[in-house]
Amino acid sequence: MYRIRFHGRGGQGMKTASRILGTALFLEGYEIQDAPRYGAERRGAPIFAYVRADKKTINERGIITRPDLIIVADDSLIPVPAAGVLAGIVEHTVLLINSDESEQTWQHRLNIRNKIITLPVETEDRAELRFIGATCTGAASRLLGIISLASLEQAIKDELAELGPQIIDKNIHKAKQAYEKVAPNENCVSQGSEITAGKYLPPDWIDLPFEAAHISAPNVWASATSMKVNTGVWRTLRPIIDYERCNKCWWVCSTFCPDSAITVDESGQPHIDYDHCKGCMICVAQCPPHAIETISEQEAAAQDKLKEEETTS
Amino acid sequence: MSEVPMTRYKSLKHMPSTRLLGTGTPMCAGCGGLGALHEIYDILGEKTVFVNAAGCMTLMSVYPFTPFRGSWLYTAMASAPAGAQGIRDALDILIEKKRISKAEDLQVVVLTGDGSAYGMGLSATSGTMERDLDYLYICYDNEGYGNTGQQFSAATPHAAKTSTSMGPRGFSGFKKDLFAIWAAHKPAYVATVIGSEPVDLARKIEKAMQMKGPRMIIALSPCPTGWDYDPKETVEIGKLAVKTGVWPLKEYINGEIIHTKIPRQRQPVEEYLKLQGRFKHLFEPQRNETLISKLQNKIDTYWENIES
Ligand SMILES: Cc1ncc(C[n+]2csc(CCOP(=O)(O)OP(=O)(O)O)c2C)c(N)n1
Ligand code: SF4
Ligand code: SF4
Ligand code: SF4
Repeated sequence: MYRIRFHGRGGQGMKTASRILGTALFLEGYEIQDAPRYGAERRGAPIFAYVRADKKTINERGIITRPDLIIVADDSLIPVPAAGVLAGIVEHTVLLINSDESEQTWQHRLNIRNKIITLPVETEDRAELRFIGATCTGAASRLLGIISLASLEQAIKDELAELGPQIIDKNIHKAKQAYEKVAPNENCVSQGSEITAGKYLPPDWIDLPFEAAHISAPNVWASATSMKVNTGVWRTLRPIIDYERCNKCWWVCSTFCPDSAITVDESGQPHIDYDHCKGCMICVAQCPPHAIETISEQEAAAQDKLKEEETTS
Repeated sequence: MSEVPMTRYKSLKHMPSTRLLGTGTPMCAGCGGLGALHEIYDILGEKTVFVNAAGCMTLMSVYPFTPFRGSWLYTAMASAPAGAQGIRDALDILIEKKRISKAEDLQVVVLTGDGSAYGMGLSATSGTMERDLDYLYICYDNEGYGNTGQQFSAATPHAAKTSTSMGPRGFSGFKKDLFAIWAAHKPAYVATVIGSEPVDLARKIEKAMQMKGPRMIIALSPCPTGWDYDPKETVEIGKLAVKTGVWPLKEYINGEIIHTKIPRQRQPVEEYLKLQGRFKHLFEPQRNETLISKLQNKIDTYWENIES
C-alpha cells in the first residue's frame, strides 16, 4: 500500500491536491482513500491531507502514521512542531519539498538520510500560490511512477471541473511541468509494509478516577490565554515598520490589525508582535504614509540570523 | 426613552489604543469578523459574558485557550439567544439574592455568524425581543457558513459563488434583510457596522451599551477564505462595501431608521465585486452585463428611497 501525506497551509490547496492525486490513482486502477484531516481550514494555519492507494481492499483508517511519501507545500512548516511534517518518518520515506534550498541542505538540517526532492519556489505572489497543489501533485505522480500523464490530466479535469477551463489549463500546465522536472527520480517511492491489527499495541492507558464535576470539568480562570498560542508561525510574509516613515498617526495599523498584534506605546509608536502576527498584510495595505514594508519570511529569517551573528561576534 | 449623551469617539484619535482581545486565536489571517470583534470588545470592555453559537468563532475558546477576559458559553447553532436568557436570569437572581453586587453585573453578549442569525437562530432571537431581554446581539456576517466551508446561507448575496452555488450565475437567492426583520420587533436598538469604519462602529457600540433591552448589531465581515481574496484586502473591501452602497450603515432607534453614513457619489458596485473571487464569474471569461446591472440597480433603488 502507498501512504502519502500532504502538508501545507490553509489556502495553499493541499486538500485539493490530495483529491487530484487520489483520483489519478483511482484512474490507474487503485483502490484509494483521500481525505483532509477533519477541522476548519484556516488561512495560513498548518493543515494536512492523506492519500492511501492499494490494489487490494484498504482496511486501514485514520491518519497516516508511517508515510511512504511526504509532500510539503511550504518549507517554513518543517520547523513548526504543530505541523508534524516529519512525524512517523521511516527509512524509505521520500520527501518532496517546495523549497529553494537544496536536497543536501535539508538532509543536513533535518539530520536524516532519506531521499529528498526539492521543487524551487516559483513565486511569492500569493495569488499564484494556489497552483502549488498542481505542482506538487504533478511531481508526486512521477515519483510514484504509477500514474500516466493522461490520468493526471483527467484527474485535474475531474476535480477542478467547477473552476472553468482557464484555471484547469493552468493547473494542468503546472502539473505537467513538475511531472517532467522530477523525471530523473521516477518511481523512487516504494510501498510500505502491511500494518496488521495483530501487531497493534494499545497505548499505555492511564486510569483516571471519577471526579465530581467541579473538579473534572475544564475551567479556565486566567484571561486571554490564547496568547500562549504562537500564531506567528502561520506567516509567510513579514510586515516591518520603518520608524523613520511612521508618523505615529492614530494607530490605523493597530486598529485594523484583526489579531491585536500591533500595540502602541506611550509615545504613540506602534510595535508588531511577531509571535502572533499572522502575516495578513492589512497593516501594510492601510498605513497612510506607507511606512510598513513586506519581506518574505525566509528573507526575514536570514536577516535575523545575520543580526544575531553580528551581536555575538 | 433616555437621552443618549455625546460620544467619546469623535474621530480615530479618540479610539482606544489598547487591545483587550487576546492574540493567538485560530481565526484565518485577515479575518474581517475578528477585526470587527476586537474593535467591539475594546469598547465593550471586560465585564462581558459571551454566548456563542457554533461557527468560526467557536474555535476561539477551546480549552485551555481563550482570547477573552471573561466567561464564554457555547451553544448549538439555533440557541445562543436562549442561552443569553439563561445567563441574564442567573445574573439577576444572583444580584437579587445579594450573592454578587450590582457592580459585578455583566453585559450578556450573543456572538453568532449569519448562518445562525439569519437562519437557524432567528426564532430564538425573535423570542428574546418579544420578552425584551436585556442583552447585546453581535452577528458577524460573512455571508455564508464559513466554518464548514462557505456553503450559502440566508445572508449570501445574489450571484455570489459559494461551495453550494458553483454555477455560472452563482447564488440564485437574495440576501435576507435581517436589519428590517429585527427592527420590525421594535427592540431598543438595531445597527449595522463594519470593521473598516471603526469610528462609526465605536459610537454605535457605545450607544448600545447605555441602553437596556435587546440591542442588535450586524457587522458585515469580509472573509478572505469564503469570499476568495488576498487577506490584505479585508479593510479595503470593507471600505468599498460602504462606498458602493452595498452595506448601508444605519441604526434603528426610537422607532426611526437613521443612516449614519450616506455615501455621496456612490462608486459602481463592480469596484467591490471585482476584488472578490466569489464574483469572478461576473467578469470572466466574459463580462456578465445583465447580472452586474441587476446588482447595481438593486443598490440604486435602495438609495433612491433614502436620498429622496
Ligand atoms: C444545528 C446544527 N447544524 C449544523 C451544525 C454544523 N455547523 C457548525 S458551524 C456551522 C456554520 C455556521 O455558519 P455561521 O453561523 O454563518 O457562522 P460562520 O461559520 O460563518 O462563522 C455549521 C453548519 C451545527 N453545529 N449545528
Ligand atoms: S500583517 Fe499586520 S495586520 Fe496582519 S496580523 Fe500582522 S501585524 Fe496584524
Ligand atoms: S499606520 Fe503607519 S503611520 Fe500609522 S502608526 Fe502604523 S505604521 Fe505608523
Ligand atoms: S472562514 Fe472567514 S469568517 Fe471564518 S475565520 Fe476564516 S476569514 Fe474568518
